[in-house]
Amino acid sequence: MTQRRTHIPLLSTRRELLARSGGGFGALALSYLLTRDALTSRTADAAPRRGVHRGPHFRPRARSVIWLFMEGGPSHLDIFDPKPALEKLAGQPMPASFGKPITAMGTASNALMGTKRSWKQHGKSGLWVSDWYPHVAKHADDLALIRSCWADGLNHVGSVCQMNTGSILAGRPSLGAWATYGLGSTNENLPAFVVLADDREVVGGSKNWGAGFIPATYQGTLLRGEGTPILDLAPPGGVSQKAQRSKLDYLADLNRRHAAAHRGDSELEARIQSYELAYRMQAAAPEAVDLVGESEPTQALYGLDDPTTRRFGANCLLARRLVERGVLFVQCYCGSGSGWDAHADMEGNHSKWCRASDKPIAGLLADLKARGLLDSTLVIWGGEFGRTPFNEKGSGRDHNPWGFTMWLAGAGVRGGQVIGSTDEIGLRAVERPVHVHDLHATILHLLGMDHLRLTYFHNGRNERATVNAGEVVREALG
Amino acid sequence: MSAVDIACIWALAGSSLLTAPPGAKERPWSLAPLVRPAVPEVRNRSWIRNPIDAFVLAKLEDSGLTPSPEASRSELLRRAYLDLAGLLPEPADVETFAADDSSEGFERRVDRLLASPQYGERWARHWLDLARYAESEGFKSDETRPNAWRYRDYVIRSLNSDKPYDRFVREQIAGDELWPEDPEAHVATAFNRHYPDESNARNLLQRRQEILNDITDTTAQVFTGLTFGCARCHDHKYDPITQEDYYRLQAFFANVRAVDDIPLLRDEELRRHRAKMAIWEEKTASIRAQMAAIEEPRRKDLAKDNFDRFPEEIQNAISKPASDRTPIEWQMYYKALPYLNPDLGSIVGGLKEEAKKRWQALSDQRSNFAELHPGVMPIGTGIGDGGRVAPKTYVLPGGLYNAADREVDPGFPSAYSSEAPRIFPPPGIESSGRRTALANWLADARNPTTARVIANRVWHYHFGRGIAGSPNDLGHLGDRPTHPGLLDWLATELVSSGWSLKRLHRLILTSSVYRQSSMGSTPPASDPENMLLWRFPRFRLEGEVIRDIAMQAAGILNLEAGGPSILPELPQGTDGHARWSLTTDSFERRRRSIYVFVKRNLRYPFFEAFDMPDTHETCGRRNVTTTAPQALLLLNDALTLEWAAAFASRARAAATESLESQVEESYRIAYARRPGAEEKAEAAAFLKRQAEIAGGAQKALVDLCHVLLNSSEFIYRN
Repeated sequence: MTQRRTHIPLLSTRRELLARSGGGFGALALSYLLTRDALTSRTADAAPRRGVHRGPHFRPRARSVIWLFMEGGPSHLDIFDPKPALEKLAGQPMPASFGKPITAMGTASNALMGTKRSWKQHGKSGLWVSDWYPHVAKHADDLALIRSCWADGLNHVGSVCQMNTGSILAGRPSLGAWATYGLGSTNENLPAFVVLADDREVVGGSKNWGAGFIPATYQGTLLRGEGTPILDLAPPGGVSQKAQRSKLDYLADLNRRHAAAHRGDSELEARIQSYELAYRMQAAAPEAVDLVGESEPTQALYGLDDPTTRRFGANCLLARRLVERGVLFVQCYCGSGSGWDAHADMEGNHSKWCRASDKPIAGLLADLKARGLLDSTLVIWGGEFGRTPFNEKGSGRDHNPWGFTMWLAGAGVRGGQVIGSTDEIGLRAVERPVHVHDLHATILHLLGMDHLRLTYFHNGRNERATVNAGEVVREALG
Repeated sequence: MSAVDIACIWALAGSSLLTAPPGAKERPWSLAPLVRPAVPEVRNRSWIRNPIDAFVLAKLEDSGLTPSPEASRSELLRRAYLDLAGLLPEPADVETFAADDSSEGFERRVDRLLASPQYGERWARHWLDLARYAESEGFKSDETRPNAWRYRDYVIRSLNSDKPYDRFVREQIAGDELWPEDPEAHVATAFNRHYPDESNARNLLQRRQEILNDITDTTAQVFTGLTFGCARCHDHKYDPITQEDYYRLQAFFANVRAVDDIPLLRDEELRRHRAKMAIWEEKTASIRAQMAAIEEPRRKDLAKDNFDRFPEEIQNAISKPASDRTPIEWQMYYKALPYLNPDLGSIVGGLKEEAKKRWQALSDQRSNFAELHPGVMPIGTGIGDGGRVAPKTYVLPGGLYNAADREVDPGFPSAYSSEAPRIFPPPGIESSGRRTALANWLADARNPTTARVIANRVWHYHFGRGIAGSPNDLGHLGDRPTHPGLLDWLATELVSSGWSLKRLHRLILTSSVYRQSSMGSTPPASDPENMLLWRFPRFRLEGEVIRDIAMQAAGILNLEAGGPSILPELPQGTDGHARWSLTTDSFERRRRSIYVFVKRNLRYPFFEAFDMPDTHETCGRRNVTTTAPQALLLLNDALTLEWAAAFASRARAAATESLESQVEESYRIAYARRPGAEEKAEAAAFLKRQAEIAGGAQKALVDLCHVLLNSSEFIYRN
């Protein structure tokens, strides 16, 4: 007891020290305060503990993550999970044996609806993919399809929030923030966790990449499509580089003088460094997002030459550039603002979004492979939920969090396989259900972290990304 | 101590936490009866100004350490201003104070600051962190809560009037039951109305449970300093809080519902308003009836649309006659009510062309009677009970809303006492009286945690670290108090002063501990982190304060108090401009940060960058990060450049033509002191250099002022 008491001040000191210097965007940790600490991290990490965790627990398979988030809920029934029984029952009410779920729009009594798609098996593995994803289908042997995903939320905001943070209620750190907290970045001039949205805002906004109760340093940074990629990255027009540098030099002098009068305060040194880092970022970030240097064939590979695919293609290409530069966690939204939310007119809605995403995703996988990056990059595809087998408004489908498909590809993933299944009509996950927490545990595992040991002490608990659950989906691992 | 050493100690201590610590399930120190401790004897008695000093000095002497010398007059005054008012002292003020070297001079300044309206504005922000205060719902739609700001103003007023803290606590929990005639006390209950909410929820039973969890966790943590949330799913692993305790505490709130229409007029005013309204209603009766007829089909459609989406049990609860509704059905009914009463905007917005025209014409006719209208009744938001009988509360295994296990009654945590609460519905109002029982228990001077928790919080905000370093967790896993005697002494002092927070501030600020310099020698090896307070701890200011003092230095801060929130400029290109309706009047935009709109899904970026908490749960201690985005914001944002330009104009106006004099004025404004000779020379050299690079002396001075706003000395409280 005595010993424990003695150490508590030191514990919180170290926690604060790390919290202040952090490992995320604009953090100074790796280059500055904790260089020596990083060397000893293996010793320190041997035991789970209160507060901060740094460095992987075991050899990581993935160095980076690219999460392709199809926001609004893509229909597994029309892309990756063919259901012959549903075709037979189409037009009839759902048999009582399937139970009557509470749905977002109260549609559970509506008739079942078949798919208009045609299906083929692809690759050596023979994975079924519908004609909505012909380009992605060519990579069938790289995909580990998880057809038995399930989640807790009924509507978009809670479900997108859970897919990102593990909880349908806001306030918890996002998975990217957890990963950043655990691993930091290898490029200190760029954010470790980057979010790319398309034209509309992601439902629920920035809390989906927020840091919740862990320090803000670990939150994701939304890269902007127009103007400077990061807010306030450059001074407004009229301020020359020379004038800015001269101000920064004077500022550094003032801050150094001040720090000298307050000896032993590492935070003051960190402030001096933060301005130097800001200065370096002014050059590094625009370089990273500039696609002009990419060759024409590369641009075409992602569909940048076609207005249908240009938007998402550019984000996929950007994701590759970021990963190449050492960014840890990239989220690429397709249809941000509930684009895939086909309550009516499945055909029109999904034709559009599948076309917009098919070629760019295939291009990304091919490009990563060609550059030798797929071995170290985990690619994730999915929405916040799938869609119901019963119709809504005759031509659409309602939200389905009880059973839907996601896939993993790349680093550490055994491709060309199907994991789990839904029932005969694709309503609920029945075989080997995989909850969001399980997905999160698996992603952290591939990044070299044990989700049970990656903890942050908050309000009396060692909090985890997976709350109190989660199990690694071992079958997915190569 | 090197980073390596720290890491090793860390690993050692970390492993000991794998198993429950010795003493687990014993009462934590914070639950011991509160007894006034003896003031310790010290050797250096001349240093003692009040008993606080004796407690701190005794520990220092035990460790062979000596306190730091007293801070300079300007350092001290700037510190006190930032601490109590969140503002800078004006240069002239600093000089008068510097000339007055009597000890009472400082005490008089402290009294003046405590009496200023800016004190409440500064300290309300701390309380709002605890209350997870926000002015929007959160979740997807993040709708505005149009009257939430009245709670903010209530907190400011309460602090400024030095409302006894025990009364304040009672008002937070049960103001509506205890003082039903006082609208202010009802607005106070908004403390438990600040939960995030989902307007699109279908499963209202689950939603209700989530709200109850929020209320239980927040109330427990803010007032008892214990992490009850851990016991929602299982008995607390370390502290003596059982799962049953959790739900017994929750049962005090089982009958709570949102009340968003608290009339704020009283007596004669209210009567006048109602009388005027009656006349207007009479004159416009036929017009309004015609409008209602146009609205009706659409209103019904919208309501039905929402109704149909609810699960069957909720539909039944809504549809049945009022007399048949059980208490839990009343709860569902109240929760569903807003969706069954669609707002006028969505009704009129969806009218067909022709109907809309007719409706508009009638609305124009109605406006001819506008002069007769008494105006919109000012209303507040808070909570109330759903009736005199509360729904039952069950222990929920795993915290699952639909896993009801054994029933429990409202009860105080077993670690405190086995005394059963005395609950009776208050006369004259439809309320269960449960919260009154809880409020009285929390505000009882014999409750060991209430006074300790608030005394520790006050210390935390003054010193940047509580006597116990984790203000929201005084249990076994929280930090131990460094000076337990001092904490108990302060807590008993608070109670015996009639729970006056201002007296507590005054005691702390006028101590020798507080008056120490923050500079000083190399930290001693035995206490590198200054846990024993051998010097005054300095810390970075909050984003809210940085914005206020930057505008104050610029001479453009608008000190107008109270009222609806303002929405100042977002950094250019911020995602979400559409949801942020900029306040059009630039003078209004420059009001103090406490009046900036708090939107859950779009925290004001300047505050967010400097670690404003995320408003979804209570925050007793902010993170303090040092990041490059902070630097980018202060360096490149259009607002900070605007502040720098105004600051430079002010400095120039106060100075002569000479560069030296301009430098001197800038220093006086930003740092509350004059520059030293070396600093002057350095600044003059910069001004010369910059005039050539940036094009002219004026621009150079703007750049100098901008650099000062960015400097550590400016954004730290030293």
